[in-house]
Amino acid sequence: MPKSNRLMSSVAAMSVTIASGATGQDLTATYSHFGTPGLLEMPTAQGAPEDSFAATIAYTDGLARVTLNFQASQRLSLSYRYANVDLYEDPPSSGTDSDIERGFDLQYRLNNETEYLPAVAIGLRDFLTPGRFQSEYVVASKSIGDNLIVTAGLGWGALGTRDGFDNPLGSGLTDRDGYDGSDPDGQLASSDWFRGDAAFFGGVEYQINDRWGAKLEYSSSEYPEVAGGVAVPVESPFNYGLTYRPRPGIQLGLSYLYGSQIGISGSFTLDPNERASGSGLEKAPPPVKVRAADARAAQSWDRQALPDAALRNALRGLLKLENLTLTGLELTDRTARVRYINNRYRSDAQAAGRAARMMTQIMPPSIETFILESERRGIPVSAISIARSDLEQLENRAGGTEAIRQRSGFGDAGGSDGLVSLERESSPFAWGLGPYFRINPFTGDGSVNVDLGLRLQGVYRIQPNLVLSGAIDQSLLPPDDDPTGTERTPDIQNVRSDGSRYGNDGVPVLQRLSLTHYSRPGQDLYGRVSVGYLERMFGGVSGELLWKPVESRFGLGLELSQVAQRDSDMRFGFDEYDYDVTTGHLSAYYDLGNGYHTQLDVGRYLAGDWGATLSVDREFDNGWVIGAYVTQTDMSYDDFGSGSYNKGVSISIPQDYFTGSASRGSYSNTFRTRVGDGGARLSVDGRLYDVIRGGHKADLSDTWGRFWR
Amino acid sequence: MGAVLAMMKYTRLIILGLALTGVTACGPMAKNNTFSQLGGALLGLGKGAAEAPAPAASITREQVVSEPGKYIRVFTRNLDRWDTNVQSGSNGNRSTWVDSASVSITFENGIVVATRGLVRDLMAADVSEVSAAIRSGGGEARRRHEFLTNMDRISTELLQCRIVSQGAETIERLKTKQNTTRFEEKCASEGLQFTNVYWVNGAGHIIRSLQAISPQAGYLQIDMF
Repeated sequence: MPKSNRLMSSVAAMSVTIASGATGQDLTATYSHFGTPGLLEMPTAQGAPEDSFAATIAYTDGLARVTLNFQASQRLSLSYRYANVDLYEDPPSSGTDSDIERGFDLQYRLNNETEYLPAVAIGLRDFLTPGRFQSEYVVASKSIGDNLIVTAGLGWGALGTRDGFDNPLGSGLTDRDGYDGSDPDGQLASSDWFRGDAAFFGGVEYQINDRWGAKLEYSSSEYPEVAGGVAVPVESPFNYGLTYRPRPGIQLGLSYLYGSQIGISGSFTLDPNERASGSGLEKAPPPVKVRAADARAAQSWDRQALPDAALRNALRGLLKLENLTLTGLELTDRTARVRYINNRYRSDAQAAGRAARMMTQIMPPSIETFILESERRGIPVSAISIARSDLEQLENRAGGTEAIRQRSGFGDAGGSDGLVSLERESSPFAWGLGPYFRINPFTGDGSVNVDLGLRLQGVYRIQPNLVLSGAIDQSLLPPDDDPTGTERTPDIQNVRSDGSRYGNDGVPVLQRLSLTHYSRPGQDLYGRVSVGYLERMFGGVSGELLWKPVESRFGLGLELSQVAQRDSDMRFGFDEYDYDVTTGHLSAYYDLGNGYHTQLDVGRYLAGDWGATLSVDREFDNGWVIGAYVTQTDMSYDDFGSGSYNKGVSISIPQDYFTGSASRGSYSNTFRTRVGDGGARLSVDGRLYDVIRGGHKADLSDTWGRFWR
Repeated sequence: MGAVLAMMKYTRLIILGLALTGVTACGPMAKNNTFSQLGGALLGLGKGAAEAPAPAASITREQVVSEPGKYIRVFTRNLDRWDTNVQSGSNGNRSTWVDSASVSITFENGIVVATRGLVRDLMAADVSEVSAAIRSGGGEARRRHEFLTNMDRISTELLQCRIVSQGAETIERLKTKQNTTRFEEKCASEGLQFTNVYWVNGAGHIIRSLQAISPQAGYLQIDMF
């Protein structure tokens, strides 16, 4: 037996555990076929854990649903769903046709369950037109013991189609228009809400053990055989299901639905607040090297013994260990100003903490002030001024994280005067080959355009702030072309609705090729000019100016672009459409605090329409972003395309959430409803606000907890 | 039927997607995107860098014994891993020791005040009352511990602790016997509770201890020589 094991055994006998004080949580709610906490097709008043995010895929014959559910607060849950569904033709006797439907749900829990009272929630399901599942409900759920939950509710709309009775809310609410093929898509059909017949639904869920559960429900959805209705043959109001949770975050379901069909479902949950890798698995930083008391008092240092050039080279080597690139250094008797690029850390605060500790290793003792200037795309974005004695004093001290933030200064980066730039070590050219995945906007023909392939990209940094970059895509699953070629909006240029025709020839295409220049025209000002093939469908010139003080939560930007529509073969031509347009926006950015960011863009869109886009992002401090946006322009509903107005949700998850290793990458996607030609914005790479904000005080403060990590 | 066709398309997509994730992204840009760990020593590069390089994992027991004060041995229970740490820095009455995997532990009078590189680090701590209680043979002590949350915030636990002497105990390690006094420290706060154990030699130094870091990182057994 090795000595070390015996040594261990002397203490192993002790039964010591570290108990976390959090109270034990009951098993969380399971997800229904609609992808929300619920029974099988009926909702319950339960909610998922706050901030959790679930993707559910559910399938029965004729009805496939993919739902993204986000528990926005303890009581509010939001869902977005694609359904591939068989619908009755007009008249229903003439058969069925399959279609893609998008829908939004919203549920709000009015009260939490108490010892005697059930939880009660109110909800809207599929509340935008056409809303094949459109319904409203009030539902109550009560747990009995630890393993049984009983639910009863009252539904309207699709949830009021079985044995419906007169609306209990009043005799003036008897009429419900329901589905009308002539309604434009994507409108709030609020005139129908809680109208028409109502019906009861209910059910029970029993948790057999930690993994297995059983569900039984009485459904108030009968899926009547009407034109445009969901073509599901229902023979019984009772649905039965089994759930299996092999591990946290995964729920699998098998069900017997409508008295005739087998259904399967899978739900996958992610909670931004739960990170498997805890606070991260990065290696330890070197500790602060503390100066001797007498050395600290020195007013200058001997440049003969320790020349600037030697310090620059040494610091470059040390920062390289942290994957930070030193690009400039200014040394005075008492101050060191470094400019560096953070290539590794999602949190710029963590990068600053690492850089500062490296500086303590070699900076002459008389240097008391460290000024850290983070550089992005060749321009400095901010300066953090830290007293070296604070680093020495506060390292590993309780309260030290907040104290070092309070004592540090945040401001605009200094100019280039006095700064000695370092020769570039790495090659100015970089390339990469990897997979890409893209969900094309829905163009109105009902097909899901998903594109998957290989992307070869290259970057040539002519100057740090002058970059030539390009990407060539080879699709392995070319998007479907719309064979019918129906021109839904003949008066409007097809600035987006032809998207599926782009690059679908199965040959390599030029995704983009552009030259971009970044600049600092003045205090708190940032500039960008991009020229070339800026995105898949447009090329031209785009210029942007941003005003954003480092300490401010508010920023203001102006973007102006003159672009022409590219040929659909995605080579170099602009002849096919012969369309050019001046587009641009005035943008206001505001960090509301508590993780909420808003952006308002007002201006002219690609089809020449004028309007505004409002976006709201919920950004978690650990890098998750869940956002929603809506655009309204002066284009008429008829012309706008079937989306009526442009809206969607976006999700971005940082890589380090999954890996625990520091990384600046993230996984993101935007899920749009049908994208028409109205409200379409140029998709140019490297917009200034996103480039610089990570270095500004609000963002730095959000992840400041990582400064000493 | 349409749904079946759609499912077939999804299936094709998923298979292709799985195949593509198997494609090793290559090229410098792709590598930037996937974070590559730095190999080699964290410390020791550059003029006047931190005081000691990360140790080789193969330091012998004889080395540990023959150079007292140079090495500590740490057993990370949750990872079932022994390692040998060397000192990488000091700050006042605190010293930081790093192991071959670049996990560091910082001590104040033998009591852990910080870790870096564990799944849930102890970011900072105030333990001065614990040292005082051990010196006086037992007593009450308050601790303040700070952790980094999943949301990159600092969370604080104010712990109330009771340190009790459990009498003399002879411990044997690396073929030498040492007479020690064993102390047990029970700590609790609203969100946390743990029990640490210290073996203190005649000179009043903690030469062995079992100390809690965090619920996720568990306990460390630390031997100082």
